[in-house]
Order: sequence, then C-alpha cells, then structure tokens
Amino acid sequence: MSSLPARQPAAPAGRRARAGRGPREPDGDQRRRYSRGQVAALRVTAGVAILAAWQICATAFAPNYIPRPSRTAAQIPSVLSNPQFLSGAASTLLAVIEGLLIAVLAGTVIGLVMGRVRDVDRALRLYVNSFYAMPIVALVPLLTVWFGYTPNARLAVVVLEAALPIIFNVAEGGRNVSASYVDVARAYRAPWWRVWTSVALPASLPYLLGGIDLAIGRALIGAVVAEFIAALNGAGYYILFNVRSFHQDDAVVAVGVLIAFVLALRGLVNLAVRRGLPWYQAA
Amino acid sequence: MTETAPGAMIRVDRLTKQYGGRTVLQDVSFDVAEGEVVSVVGPSGCGKTTLLRCIAGLAEPTEGSVSIGGREVTEPADGVAVVFQHFGLFPWKTVFGNVAYGLTVAGMSRRDAEPRVRQLISMVGLDGFEKSYPYQLSGGMQQRAGLARALAIEPRVLVMDEPFASLDAQTRDLLQLELLRIWEQRPTAMVFVTHSIDEAVLMGDRIVILSGRPGRVRDIVDVGIGRPRGRAVVDGERFRVVRDYLWTVVMEAGADQGQPGGPQVADPPAGDPHQAELRKEQG
Repeated sequence: MSSLPARQPAAPAGRRARAGRGPREPDGDQRRRYSRGQVAALRVTAGVAILAAWQICATAFAPNYIPRPSRTAAQIPSVLSNPQFLSGAASTLLAVIEGLLIAVLAGTVIGLVMGRVRDVDRALRLYVNSFYAMPIVALVPLLTVWFGYTPNARLAVVVLEAALPIIFNVAEGGRNVSASYVDVARAYRAPWWRVWTSVALPASLPYLLGGIDLAIGRALIGAVVAEFIAALNGAGYYILFNVRSFHQDDAVVAVGVLIAFVLALRGLVNLAVRRGLPWYQAA
Repeated sequence: MTETAPGAMIRVDRLTKQYGGRTVLQDVSFDVAEGEVVSVVGPSGCGKTTLLRCIAGLAEPTEGSVSIGGREVTEPADGVAVVFQHFGLFPWKTVFGNVAYGLTVAGMSRRDAEPRVRQLISMVGLDGFEKSYPYQLSGGMQQRAGLARALAIEPRVLVMDEPFASLDAQTRDLLQLELLRIWEQRPTAMVFVTHSIDEAVLMGDRIVILSGRPGRVRDIVDVGIGRPRGRAVVDGERFRVVRDYLWTVVMEAGADQGQPGGPQVADPPAGDPHQAELRKEQG
C-alpha cells in the first residue's frame, strides 16, 4: 500500500471515518466483533426504547394533541394509501433524485476542473467556499421569484444544495491526486484527456462519494423547505398542511417516510460503492 | 571505458538539471547501446531519480539533452516503459487493467490487448490474479504487475527506478533473477537505477557511478560478466572484484559530500588495488 500514502486522505468530509475498520483493526485489540444480526438486534432495541420513552412522556406529561407512537402508527395505512400524499411524496422524491443527478454531473466537472487547474481554483475557491458555508435555504424566497412558484424553483434549490458539497469535495480530491499516478499516465503517453478520465477522476472518486453522502441530506432539506415556502405539492407541503389542519399524526408519518427515503438513498450509494468500487473500501 | 557506441539507443549528453537554482545533475553524459543494461548507482541524493525522469521525458533538462533512438526527448517518448519504485499501480484498476494500461492508453481496445496482457501476466507469474486489485497483492506481486505493464508495450527502452527498493530482501533476490530471465528472452536497452551495489553489478553490463550534489559522472565501469546470468554470478570472482571497486568509489562519492556512508576509504580510486585488478582483467 506504499504507493498511496494519502489514499484515505483526511477522510473526505461527510463520509464516516473508516479507520479502525476491517484489516486496519489493530491485532491486539480484543474488541468483540458483532455479527449483522447482533447489530440489528441492538438497533431494534434502541428504536423500541426511543418510541417507548416518547409514548410514556407524551402520555404522562403532554397535552392530548401532541402526537404519540400509538396514534401515529394507527395512521400509517391511511397516509400510505392517501393518493394526495403518494403523489406529493413521489414528486418530492423525483425532484431530489433529479437534482442529485444534475448536481453530481455538474459538481464533478466543476470540482475536478477546480482541483486540477490552478487558476480556476484560485478564481473560484472563495465563492464556492462561501456558498457552501451559507444556508442555501436563505435563497429560496429569491428563487421562487425567479422561477415562479413552480417545481423548477424546488429543483433549483435542490441542485444548489447538493452541488456545493460535491464541488467542494471533488475539488479537494482533485488537488490531492498523487503526482506519482499522473507520472505513470504521462510516462505511458496518455493523452491529456486520458489523464483526466483514467487518473484524476478515479483518484477523486472517494471524495465524490463523501460529497454525495452530504448532498443527499442537503437535497432533501432544500426540497422540503422549497415546498414550505412556495406551497408546492410534495411531502414537505403535506407535512405543513396536515400540521396546520390538526392532523399531526399524519405529518409524523410523512416525516417517517422522508427518513426512510434518505436511508434508502444512502444505502443505495453504499451498495454501489461495494459493487462498483471494491478497491475503495478495502484500500 | 566511456566509448560511445555508434548505434546508441539512449544518449545522455552533457545533461544538467537545476531545480530553482539548485543544480541536481551536472554535465552527465553516457550512452546505452541497443540491448545493453546500464546500471546507475550513487550516494543517496545524487540525482539518480532526476536523471531517470529526464530519460523518461517526465522532466526537462536545463542544459544538454537526452535522445532515444536518435530523437531528442522532449516528452515521454514512444516505446519507453518505466517501472517505478513505488510500483505506481492504479488502485482502482485490476491487475489486468493495470497491465493493459499502456496499450489501452495508446488506443488499443481491451479485447485486442487481451492475449498479450494475459501472456505477460503469466510471464511474471501472476496467473490467476488478473481480476485482483493491487491492495490484494503483496509488494512483490505488485511490482511483478508493474513489470508486466512496462513489458506489455514491447518497449525499446526500459527505465527502472529502484524497482526492488521497497521490497523485502528475499522478494528482491527473487525478482532480480526473474527480471534477468525475462530480459534474456527479449534483450532491451535498459537503464537500471538502484542504490544497491550488488544489484547494479548483477543487472548491468556497465555501471555509471554518480557522485553527489550535484550529481556528476564519477566513473563508468564495465562489468564484464557474460550472459545469461543467474544466481551463480554473485559467487564469481569477477562479481566480487567489481562490487568491491564500486563500493569504494561510491563510499568516497558519499564521503565527498560529507555523508557518513559506511566504511570510509582513504585512498583514491586510482590507487585502489581493486581498480588495478579491474583494469588488468579488462585487458
């Protein structure tokens, strides 16, 4: 592994640190290894405990209109079969996926060019960093004026939210591409574009994945906030509408659906990594 | 001893290389004939790797020139393959992908490259590891793949940058002999940079000794051991004589720049008994 001292460089922001996992685990460490089943059992136990605590506290101390698991659970079938909710959730999720795809494509190109071309980096870094640091949701009122109260405004918010961590991370990855790989490509007479596709891009992939991990959460935030502000049909607006019309239990179910969606997306990315980039997790 | 072969494959002509005002190499000249192996040794920091980068076209001479096959090197030249000290395998490519790299980058399809790639993988003893990733291989196996990648382009010139320096002693011995065997099958002009004197003698037909800071040619030695070479060579009288001579000169070259480089030798090379012996045997 000597060829790449900085392969897991500074753990790309957002990606769980993998140090101490797998083969890197120090041999002397007698920490117990858990099977998948054991982990699942722990998770379920914790989940049940949290729900139980919520139920007990709400019943004992809270006014009757505060949602509690028993009543919320009873609402699940009716919410999940409500065509209004389903079409709203579908439109939110599609917007998030579409926005993520645009953000990944654009963000990778912009980030890679920044990371590999010094002058572009110098020109853009300040702006990317400031946009990344600022809350994009502050732009939602403006974007709704520019794009109208339409799904396009929501898409714009999602793309902005998702693209920034990707640009930021991929640029960092591009800057850290080991010069020795570029040497190899040059020594074997790779044309310039081949150096980008066969070295710069794959070497930056771990950073891109870190960016996508962050982007998923941010994209969903953007979509929901845009729906709140622009009153667009969607899962976010469904939540707002139901809370305001005293159907808090329905709103909580919708929140649960959003959580499930984020988990599913991240699971999908992880699966893709394990299948498509076996070298990444092991390296 | 520095006779210039008319059909020199590699010609290093009064090569000087400076980095930001610091002279790394000064007035280095030597030739490598077709099918000849020239080892380059010298104390650490004498510019061996810089010399090699100039030959590979990865660095530009400040003054003087390098030509390969009669053409001045201004960028990595056609038919020149480099084997790197840290292997330089791409972690995101399998052994097959890495070995095929020089071919695919030159525009050959994976399918067209396949027979040759398989043959080379087999030649370096990596049968069955085509689909393995570098992280799944030991250091020695990684360098076997690096060697196969270099040989895959059927090079006119092989440039070896301390290829076995980061391997353990046993693996190094084994790979040296394998390289001799492989080279024997298809003798190529080869520049073999190493910091191991034994390795320089074992591999080289001639040996360029650099002195340090700035690197200058201190001496060029004819090894005078026939081919094919095998393990038995190192037990021969000639091997011992050449090695002892090199040892003396390299240590002095190191001592000149104030490096504690092992046994300090008082007398200059001219008065060295080994050198007298060396000259005598060359007749």
